[in-house]
Formats: sequence, structure tokens, C-alpha cells
Amino acid sequence: MSRRGDWVYENNGGTCVAIAGADYCVVAADTRLSVGYSILTRDHSKICDLADKCVLASSGFQGDIKALHKNLAARELLYQHQHNKRMSCPAMAQLLSNTLYYKRFFPYYAFNVLGGLDSEGKGCVFTYDAVGSYERTGYSAQGTGSTLIMPVLDNQLKSPSPLLLPARDAVTPLSESEAVDLVKDVFASATERDIYTGDKLEIVVINKAGTTREYIELRKD
Amino acid sequence: MVGKNCFAIASDRRLGVQLQTIATDFQRVFKIHDKLYIGLSGLATDAQTLYQRLVFRHKLYQLREERDMKPETFASLVSAILYERRFGPYFCQPVIAGLGENDEPFICTMDCIGAKELAKDFVVSGTSSESLYGACESMYKPNMEPEELFETVSQALMASVDRDCLAGWGGHVFIVTPTEVQERVVKGRMD
Repeated sequence: MSRRGDWVYENNGGTCVAIAGADYCVVAADTRLSVGYSILTRDHSKICDLADKCVLASSGFQGDIKALHKNLAARELLYQHQHNKRMSCPAMAQLLSNTLYYKRFFPYYAFNVLGGLDSEGKGCVFTYDAVGSYERTGYSAQGTGSTLIMPVLDNQLKSPSPLLLPARDAVTPLSESEAVDLVKDVFASATERDIYTGDKLEIVVINKAGTTREYIELRKD
Repeated sequence: MVGKNCFAIASDRRLGVQLQTIATDFQRVFKIHDKLYIGLSGLATDAQTLYQRLVFRHKLYQLREERDMKPETFASLVSAILYERRFGPYFCQPVIAGLGENDEPFICTMDCIGAKELAKDFVVSGTSSESLYGACESMYKPNMEPEELFETVSQALMASVDRDCLAGWGGHVFIVTPTEVQERVVKGRMD
């Protein structure tokens, strides 16, 4: 809450997580929308399906997030018309980075995690900061619960060091159901300790068969 | 963290001034008596001064009462000492752990002006406290035996400090049971 007339941002809270597997990708986000210490709604999706193999989850200021998602969806449609195919996940990753940096001096207050399958069908996760700096990783968490979740993902998904040669894959050897269980566990823990995370968890799993959605109840307090 | 008739108290080993590391073997967990330990995070000089004052007060208590202080009493003492400095505080967040009556584990934490917070499972403090909340919440189970408790505490501590550039350089873990105290140094990422 701000009295100053020029503060244009607001944090609507929430947490997003994505985990990449050998041939799948799990993207999850809670569905609580808050302002200050109040809850606006328990049923607001932070996940946007940009392409058939590409899903974006964003937390932060929902006004900017809605605008960002709309922008990207429009650009993806243009790409479809111009190239007669849907955008691949790595291509969307670069587009998102450029879109965010375009507003470097009045940023989108959005903390994004992009997940999907790359052109070889392997899972990929891209993690961003608010101005478009991005990296392809095996897993990531963004949002108010990210500091609570990241150490647990580090511990469970043990990414090999990027200094090793030859370069080793960062995607986890876990199976799809194990990864989904891990996501449910970390969200349960984050919900306990983070006031902005809770209500419901939306889990989207992308694999070569397509995209499936699942909703899990979380604590509502 | 509380286990079955035992508790664990752990800290990292880094002492730094903003981004410069000064020491990699700094002790942050101190013994008050065989069954009572206090960990002090925050400003190092305040941690050391507070520890010296608390040991002094405990020794006086031992002389007068001819016994060791109970953890609950000690927690109230720490809280009072911190609140004495309400408008010019010690920049420390203590974590207190002990075995009380019937060797029942007791843990609590406080903010820097003495607001006590009791817990049944675990308490955390320091720069990595948010990460520690997440890791401990995920890894904690009630009634863990000392060996399992050691594993859990070490994993939670190492995972959390690895995400914090101001904490790390290994860990110091104490497992306290009614009969013995095991002190172990855990090797982690040295950066």
C-alpha cells in the first residue's frame, strides 16, 4: 500500500515452479491472488498456454502479467501465420527475454518460468528475472515462495555442475509421477510458511502425448 | 530441530563483512550447560557479548540455586536481557535449544528485542531463514532418532546456505541426547 501518487506496481503474490524431465515438463503455480494482507480470489490461474509444447507461469503484478501474456500470445499467433508452424519452446524463451528487456526502463513486474519440450522432445525450463535475463535450467521456482522451495529442489534434483566436461544434462532422471509428487510436496511446505501461497495448486504436465492439467487443494489460511 | 528425546542445533561457519569472508570456522552455537545450547546469528560482536553475559548470569544462577537452569527459564532470561536494550538493541537473533524436565526437548527463537517464539518442530534464524523454513518444513518428520535427525538437519542446512551468498563454508551440527553430545563438522560447498 502506497500513499505516493507515482508508485505504479503492486505484488499480487504467488509461487511458480517448473521441473524438466527426459521427455516431459511439469509447470505448476498456486491460484491465490492477494493484495497486502487480503486475498482477492482463491481461483486465479497464473499459467498461460502459449504454444502446444510451451507453457508460461508468472508471478508478481497481475496487471503486468496479463499484459505480458497477451503480448506473447499475439506474437505467437503472428509467428504461426508467418511460418505455418507453432513456436518452439527455445524460440519463445528468446522472445520472452526480448519482450521483457524492451521495457528495461519501466519493467514488467513479472517473475517468469517458461516450461515445455524443445525440438528434440526433451524437457526444458527457462527461468527469468524481471528484465529478461534468462537461463535454461533443469528446474526453477519464482515468486514469493521461491526462497522456500529452491533449496529443496536443489537437494532433490541435484543438478550437475555446469563446470563439468563434457557438459551434462540438467534434466532430472525422475519419472513424471515422481516429479509431480515432488511439486506437490514443495508446495505443501511453501503454503505452510508463506502467507501469499495457498488455496489451490494448478499442475500442468507437457509430454509428447499433449498437455494435462491437474488441481490439488492446498491450505486456505 | 526436535527429535525423539533429543535435539539438533546447527549453524554455518562463515564470518563475513558484506561480501568479504573474514573467517571460515566461526563458532555461532555456544554451550550454556550440558543440556542447553544457544545459537546466535546476526552481528558477530553482539553474539559474542551476549554469550559472555549469558554465561555470566548462568554461572551466578548455578552458585545460588546449586543446579543448572531449565531451558524455559533460560529463554525468559535471554528475552529479558534483549528487551533491556529495547531502544538500542543487540543485533542478534538467538535460537535456544535444550532438554528440560524429564529430558523433554525444548526449542525457541526470538527476534532481536526478545519476542519469544516457541515451536514443537524446528526454529530458524539468520540470513538464510526463509530458505531454512522451506527446507525444514519439507524435510522434518516428528520423532526422528539422533542419526536420522543429524542427516535431516545437515541436508536442510546445506541446501539452504548454498542458496545464500552470505552463509556457508560448511556446517557445525550438535546432536544432544540425554546421555551424550555429538559435535560434527559438515563439509559443504566452500564458497
